[in-house]
Amino acid sequence: MRSIMRLNMSTLSITTEPVPDAWARYGGRALTDAIVFAEVPPKADPLGPEAKIVFAPGLLGGTSAPNGGRLSVGAKSPLTGGIKESNAGGQAAHALAKVGIAALVIEGVAADASARYVLKINADGSTEIVRDDSLTGLGNYATKDALDATMGDVKRYATITIGPAGEMGLKSAAVAISDPDGYPNRFAGRGGLGAVMGSKGLKAVVIVDEGLPYLAHADKDAFNAAVKKFANALREHAVTGQALPTYGTNVLANIINEAGGYPTRNFSDGRFEGVDHISGETMREVTVERGGNVKHGCHTGCVIQCSRYFVDKDGHYKTKGVEYENVWALGADCGIDDLDVIAELDRNCSDLGIDTIEAGVTIAVYMDSGKLAFGDGAGALALLEEVRKGTETGRMIGNGAEATGLALGVEHIPVVKHQGLPAYDPRPIQGIGVTYATSTQGADHTAGYSITANVLAVGGSVDPLKPEGQAALSQGLQIATGMLDALGLCIFVAFAVLDIPEALDAIHEMAEAHTGQKWDTDALMQLGKEVLTMERLYNESAGFTAADDRLPAFFYDVALPPHDAVFTVTDAELDSVHDFVADTATAMGISKP
Amino acid sequence: MQIELALFAHLTPYLPPAGAEDESGSSHARPMDLPDGTTVGQVITRLDLPAGPRIVFVNGRHAPDDHSLANGDRLAIFPPVAGG
Repeated sequence: MRSIMRLNMSTLSITTEPVPDAWARYGGRALTDAIVFAEVPPKADPLGPEAKIVFAPGLLGGTSAPNGGRLSVGAKSPLTGGIKESNAGGQAAHALAKVGIAALVIEGVAADASARYVLKINADGSTEIVRDDSLTGLGNYATKDALDATMGDVKRYATITIGPAGEMGLKSAAVAISDPDGYPNRFAGRGGLGAVMGSKGLKAVVIVDEGLPYLAHADKDAFNAAVKKFANALREHAVTGQALPTYGTNVLANIINEAGGYPTRNFSDGRFEGVDHISGETMREVTVERGGNVKHGCHTGCVIQCSRYFVDKDGHYKTKGVEYENVWALGADCGIDDLDVIAELDRNCSDLGIDTIEAGVTIAVYMDSGKLAFGDGAGALALLEEVRKGTETGRMIGNGAEATGLALGVEHIPVVKHQGLPAYDPRPIQGIGVTYATSTQGADHTAGYSITANVLAVGGSVDPLKPEGQAALSQGLQIATGMLDALGLCIFVAFAVLDIPEALDAIHEMAEAHTGQKWDTDALMQLGKEVLTMERLYNESAGFTAADDRLPAFFYDVALPPHDAVFTVTDAELDSVHDFVADTATAMGISKP
Repeated sequence: MQIELALFAHLTPYLPPAGAEDESGSSHARPMDLPDGTTVGQVITRLDLPAGPRIVFVNGRHAPDDHSLANGDRLAIFPPVAGG
């Protein structure tokens, strides 16, 4: 039976209840959304006692569904002020699901703000809440080491932790999830959810899944057949079967740069002259030469294997990836072309527990103010040290690009709904601009990854430099992403699903065989629409209007080289992206919270 | 005419050897002399690139195989890649 476990930090009490029938088809993002929608007032202080943070494996979590171990972390975001689902790999989703937990909800705030608590969930479902103030101020890596020291003979467990940024309540604070080797290097990065966890006095969650098998299925044979079909599609597609495992996500650097959409020095150029030094191909060469690992899954059951470990010049682990977004944010956007410097910045962000995208965008905005030269890696590292110390400058940086840009009077602040833009300029790649503008999450490439048809020739082709077709492209992808996030599938499966029809069939076949519920393609898309509908209505009640579904003015006014492109999708087209929300809300029988 | 040819990821090994005049230092791009009017498809044949889908850019814009190249163009060819 799937259950919802609640930890009230005000009373330090834990309760468990069955998932209500109304949410029986919900997992992952759908379930975190449903709980936040129903239980967190849209006007609540995101760091106050009415706020909650929810951890949910997808509907396929705890099974052998390929790439089915993603974790949704949901809350009202202190960064955007809207509903947030931040999605991470790592081992926690499978572990929670195997223990029988469909959602872990953290409520209230600890009576003593200086207290640091650890929640331990044992394999038999029993729980312990331990106060350990010695964890105060520790980075994610030291926190993980301290937790490991308490585990005795238990070998198999996952951790969810925050670093000092989360404890300080900084708006870019992230939540770290341990990977299959135990490194706390997978992140629910976006939207400041580490601050929500920190505001409750919760420093860590440990979930023990030692000895627990995968979950049982309603129809085992049908499930295994669908798994085989899905895995074959992922292995067969050139992206998920070859490019991603070989080069990792950073294989994108060269092609986005070639398309003229690689944001450089705070979105002032679409090409970075140093890209050859930091590309996925170069990173692979460097990593192989140093003896690093260049192919593994970020969670058990991943068949794509795009993760890797970057090692220093002596061959010692430095950080994971480095992922495309992180290399870009801490590299090209800051004018930095040294992989070792980028990896050091990435390691520091991970240990502090801040979102790497927001950190890079923020440092680039800081550089644009004239206070630090573009390309100054040592200066960038010093800024992260300010964050660790909690100085005035450090808190400004840790609160993100908008806070920093406004404080320093920077003209070009690349944010939507207060969240920094990721690694694709929306002027020469207009489909991603539609997603940035209209997503319920604030500027978020993963919410509707239009790069597929705009640049990568996956799932069709839509000219990236023209406005036509972009709204429809983004809408379809946003709905599909909501569905994948609800099932707990990695969104990279979409590269295969968009091109191989059997892969989409395999998804609803896995869902049906596992749950015993009726699932088909229409039901999958309905799930995606329900996710977006809850988010959209919540954001309206939180105060968002159509004016919030726009890019910053400079993307419309300032032409970007090399294509001299500006963003030309009309407001009416942007407003059409959520044209299904009213009907879906009616069908769901819900109205604004 | 001369173009700049760039090949990436699994296609990089198909780059012609760097000539003495190539001072770009790029690990992905080379100057390439071609008869006037050569098309993208003719370059692909000449390089003997492996079969399968490709993503082709001329001067940073997608281009089909029958696109005729001009002096000074940059031709960049990728195998299917993605990430994010």
